[in-house]
Amino acid sequence: MYYQLINFGNEEFHAYPNKSLYWKRLNTLIVSDLHIGKSISYAKNKQFLPPYDTKEILNKIFVSLDKIKPSNLIIVGDLLHDVFSTLSIKDQDYKNLSQYMKNTDFIWIKGNHDKNIRMEGFKNFTNYKIEKFLFTHIPVETSLFQICGHYHPKVKIVHRGKTIFKTSFVHNEKIFILPSFGILTGGLDINSKEISDVLGKKNLNIYPVGQDKVYKL
Amino acid sequence: MNINKSNPLLLHPLNKWMKKKKWSWFPHQIETFHHVRTGSDVVVFAPTGAGKTLTGFINPIDDLIKLKKFKGLHTLYISPLKSLANDIVRNLEKPIKELDLNISFQVRTGDTTPYKKQKQKQKPPNILITTPESLALLNSYENAKEFFFNLKYIIIDEIHTFLDNKRADLLSLNIERLQTFSPNLQRIGLSATLKNKQDAKKWLCRKKPKIVSYENSVLPKIKILESKERIPWSGHMATYSINEIYKEIIKSKLTIIFVNTRAQAEYMFKNLWLINKKKLKIAVHHGSLEKNLRLKVENNLSKGLVDCVVATSSLELGLDYGDVEKIIQVGAPKGINRLLQRVGRSNHNLNTPSKAILVPTNRFEFIEAKAAIEEIKKNNLDKIDLKEGSFDVVAQHIFATACAGQFDINDLYKEIIKAYPYKKLKLNDFKQLINLIQDGGYVLKNYDQFKRIFQLRENKNIYKLVNRRETRKYRMNVGTIIENPMLKIKLGTKTLGNIEEVFIQNLSQGDSFIFAGQVLEFQSMKNNLVQVKRSKSLVSKIPSYSGGRMPLSTNLANSVRALLAKSNMWDSYPEQITEWLKRQKNISKIPKKDEYLVEQFPRKKIFYTVIYTFAGWHANQTLGFLLLRGFKEFNYKPLGFVANDYAIVLWSLKEVKEIKTILNLGLLDKHLDNYLEETSIVKRLFRDNAIISCLIERRLPGMEKTGKQVLFSSDLIYTVLKKNEPDHILLKSSYEDAKKNMIDYDRLREILKKIDKKIILKKLTSISPLAVPIILEINRENLSKKETDEYILEDLENEILKEANVLSIN
Repeated sequence: MYYQLINFGNEEFHAYPNKSLYWKRLNTLIVSDLHIGKSISYAKNKQFLPPYDTKEILNKIFVSLDKIKPSNLIIVGDLLHDVFSTLSIKDQDYKNLSQYMKNTDFIWIKGNHDKNIRMEGFKNFTNYKIEKFLFTHIPVETSLFQICGHYHPKVKIVHRGKTIFKTSFVHNEKIFILPSFGILTGGLDINSKEISDVLGKKNLNIYPVGQDKVYKL
Repeated sequence: MNINKSNPLLLHPLNKWMKKKKWSWFPHQIETFHHVRTGSDVVVFAPTGAGKTLTGFINPIDDLIKLKKFKGLHTLYISPLKSLANDIVRNLEKPIKELDLNISFQVRTGDTTPYKKQKQKQKPPNILITTPESLALLNSYENAKEFFFNLKYIIIDEIHTFLDNKRADLLSLNIERLQTFSPNLQRIGLSATLKNKQDAKKWLCRKKPKIVSYENSVLPKIKILESKERIPWSGHMATYSINEIYKEIIKSKLTIIFVNTRAQAEYMFKNLWLINKKKLKIAVHHGSLEKNLRLKVENNLSKGLVDCVVATSSLELGLDYGDVEKIIQVGAPKGINRLLQRVGRSNHNLNTPSKAILVPTNRFEFIEAKAAIEEIKKNNLDKIDLKEGSFDVVAQHIFATACAGQFDINDLYKEIIKAYPYKKLKLNDFKQLINLIQDGGYVLKNYDQFKRIFQLRENKNIYKLVNRRETRKYRMNVGTIIENPMLKIKLGTKTLGNIEEVFIQNLSQGDSFIFAGQVLEFQSMKNNLVQVKRSKSLVSKIPSYSGGRMPLSTNLANSVRALLAKSNMWDSYPEQITEWLKRQKNISKIPKKDEYLVEQFPRKKIFYTVIYTFAGWHANQTLGFLLLRGFKEFNYKPLGFVANDYAIVLWSLKEVKEIKTILNLGLLDKHLDNYLEETSIVKRLFRDNAIISCLIERRLPGMEKTGKQVLFSSDLIYTVLKKNEPDHILLKSSYEDAKKNMIDYDRLREILKKIDKKIILKKLTSISPLAVPIILEINRENLSKKETDEYILEDLENEILKEANVLSIN
C-alpha cells in the first residue's frame, strides 16, 4: 500500500489511503472514528441504512493488521456509534478480534459516542501518553503534541471551476486530526468554525485521501 | 355524437349565467356533459380559451344542485400547480356567486394554513381544489375513507403534464385509492390537444372510456424575429437581438418572453434593463424565486400592471392572463407541444389567433424554429410516451397506506396494478418494496427489532405501522419532486429565493452574481443562509440550474432533418443562413431526411469526428460516451467529446478509420452498463429514489439537514449497497429511472438499430460549416470560467471561422 510520509512533532508517520496512520518507530497503528454500528443506531429511528458498515469496517481493520502486524492499535475515540452498536458485531468477528488481540494491544481511547461502553480485550483510556505525544479524542490544554479524531475533517478543493470535497488528514504544529475510518460517516469542512477553533486557519498541513493515494496540498 | 338534438345544457343551472355573459355552450361541453351523465370516464381535449375549466365543472355543479344541500366532499379537482389552483377558485367563484348557488368550494395546497386544513378535514367543502401532493397527504390520514367515501367526481386538469413522470405515477396510485373508497367515482381529464389521445384515455379512464375533442381552427401566428444582426454560430443568450426584442415589447400591450433556463431568464432580464430607455415595467419569473415575489409578478400580470415578464416554464401552464398580447420565445422551441403551450399564453380568445415571435439564439435553432412553425401549421404534435411507473413512488405509497391504517398487502397489490403505470408491476417487486418500507429490505437481516411496519401475528398478510410517530416522517417526505440542494438568499432580512448550493460553493466573498433581476454581492454563508448585499458591479455571474435541460423532441427533430434537406427553401432564409447551408453542400454534404452524416477532419494535429444524429441532448450525451469507449477499444486515443441536441463531436489523437464498425447497436449493448457505472447518473438518481421511497429523510424538525448532507449520505449508501447488495430494489429502480429518463435509451436504440446502413461518411481536409457550432461548444466547455471572457471567445470564434473559410459570409 502506498503511503504519504507526514512529519509531525519531529516524528515520521505514514498516512494510508484506508485512513489509518502508522507510527513505524513504535510499530503502532492509529485509527479514529470508526462509528461501528452507525447503521443499527439509525435503524432505531427507522432510517434503514445498508447494514454492512460494521462488517466492512472490521474487515478493513483486519486487512491492516494482517499487513502491518503492529504491536499497538490505538483507536482515538468513537470506535462504536452507540450502545446498540455491539448488536451489529457477529460472533465470528468477536472471535477474529480476540485472535488479533494475541499479538496486538488494542488501546481504546474513549470518544463522545462510546464513553461508557466496554468490550472484552480492549484497554480503555480517556487519553494515552507516549513520549511527547498525547492520544485523545478531542484536543485538550497541554504542551504535548496531540493526535486526535472527532472532527472527521474534509477539505474543499476548487479547481478549474469544479468543487470537490475530500476526506483528509490535517495537522498544525501541535495538533494532528485523523479522518474517520468509518463507512457511513460524513465529514466536516476544515474551514468550519469547529475545526478552525482547534487548528486555526493558517499553516495547516492538509493531506486529502484519494482512491489509492494520500495527497499533499 | 349527435348534438342536433336539443341542447341539454340549456336546462343547466349555469345556463342563465352563460346567457347573461352572452356566451354559448361549446360542442365539446355538451358532449362531455352527455357522456359523464351517462356514466363515462372522459378525457376532454380542447385548446386554451375553449372553456376547459368550466367543462370539468358542468356535471358536478348540475349534480350538486339536483342533490340539494349535499353534505361533504363531492368533487375533487387536481391541478398541477399551486398557482393554477388559486386561479381555478377565482374562475369558479364568478358563476357560483353571481347565481347564488348553494355550493361550497375551497383550495388546499402546501400554502394553505394548518388551521384552514384542519377545518377542511372537519367540514369538507363540496368542491376541493388541490394538487397531487396534497391529495396523497389526504389519503394518508386515518379518516381518509370517511373523507372521500361520497366522492362523485375527480377532475384532472392539464392531464397532458401528468402522463410521463413520477408525479403522474403518484397521482395514478391515489386515484385508484379514491376509487376504492368510492367505487362510483367518475374521472374527468382536461387536456391540451395531444397526438396520442388514446394513451391519455388509457391512463385515466376505466368506465366506458370516452374521448371528447375540440380542435381550434384558428392557427396561431408565429414568425421568426427579423434581425439586422447576424445570428450567432453557437451560444444560447440572444444578446445579438436584444434591441429588436425590446422594440417588439414596445409594440405590444403585454408581452411574455419565454426562455429555456433560469440562467437565460436572469440574463435576458438584465440585458433588457440595460437598454430600457422607455422605462417599461419589466419583471422576471422563475421557479427559484421566493413565493411572494412570484405571486406579485403573477398578480401584476393578471391586472396588466406590467409591460413584459421574462419567464421560464414556471408561467407555461394554464393561468389565464387575458391581456397578454404577444409571446416571444427565445431559444430553441425543443418540441411542438411545448411551443404551442407557450404560444397559447397569449390572447385567450378562440377567434383571434395567438401571436408569437421566435428568437433563435444560434443557427441550428433558426432551422429548428422554422421547422416548428411548419409542424404547427400541419398540426403535427409530439407524442407523449407513457412510461412504466417507478418503484420508489410505490414505496412511498405503501408508507402512506400504512399511515392511514393497517392494510392487507394482497388488496393493496390488486389496487396498485389497476393504475395504468403499474399494470405490469410484478408481485415479487411489490413485496420487495413492502420490505423496503418495513426495514430497508436488505438481505442481511439486522433490523428485526426496529421495523417500521410489521405483520400481524394472526394474519401475515396484514401490515401495520409500529409507531404513529412515523406518520410525521411520511408527511415530511411526501411528493416526487426533488430539488437540488438549495440555499436561501437573504438581502438584509428579506428572502429573495433559493439558489443552488453548487453555485454558491464556487463563489468567493465579494463576487457578484445576478438573481431575481438584481446584481448581488456574495458576503457570507451561515446556517444555510446566503447573505448578500446590492452591488453596482458590471461583471457578474449568472447562477446555473442543472434542471430543465429538455432534449429536442423526436417529432421536431425529424422535421428539422426534413427541412434541412429541402434546398429549395433555403433562398427564403436570411442570407447568412442560406450561405451557411450552400457552403456546407459544396464542401461536404447536407444529409437527407433519413441519413446520418459523419464528418471527419484534422485540425491542429487533432482528429475530429462529427456525427449528426439529431437525437436530442440526452441520447447524444450517452452516445458520445459510448463512442469514447468504442474509440478506446480501437486504440484511436480519444480525448473527449461534446454533445448537443443535433450532433456529437469526438476528438482523438489518431484517425478514426472504422467508424461504421463501431457505430451500431452492439456499442450500446456492450458499454451501457459501464457508462451508468462511471458517470454519476445512477448515483444521482439513487438520491432521488432514496428520498422518494422514504429510505432517507428530506428533513425533520429539529434536525435540519443541509441539502449537501443529504446528498452526501445518499452517496455513501449507494456505494455500500452497490458493493454488498447489487440486486437491491432501489438500485434496480435507479437503473430503470436512468434508462427511462436520463439517457433516452429507447430513442438511442431505435437510431442505432438502423444507423449502419445509413451513415454517409465525409472525409474532409478541414472543418465544415455545419460543424462550426459544435466545435465552438468544445472550446466553450473546456475553457475555465475566467477565460470565458467575451474577448477571448470572439477571438477564438474568428479563428475557427477563418479556418472553415466562412468568414466572408458576414
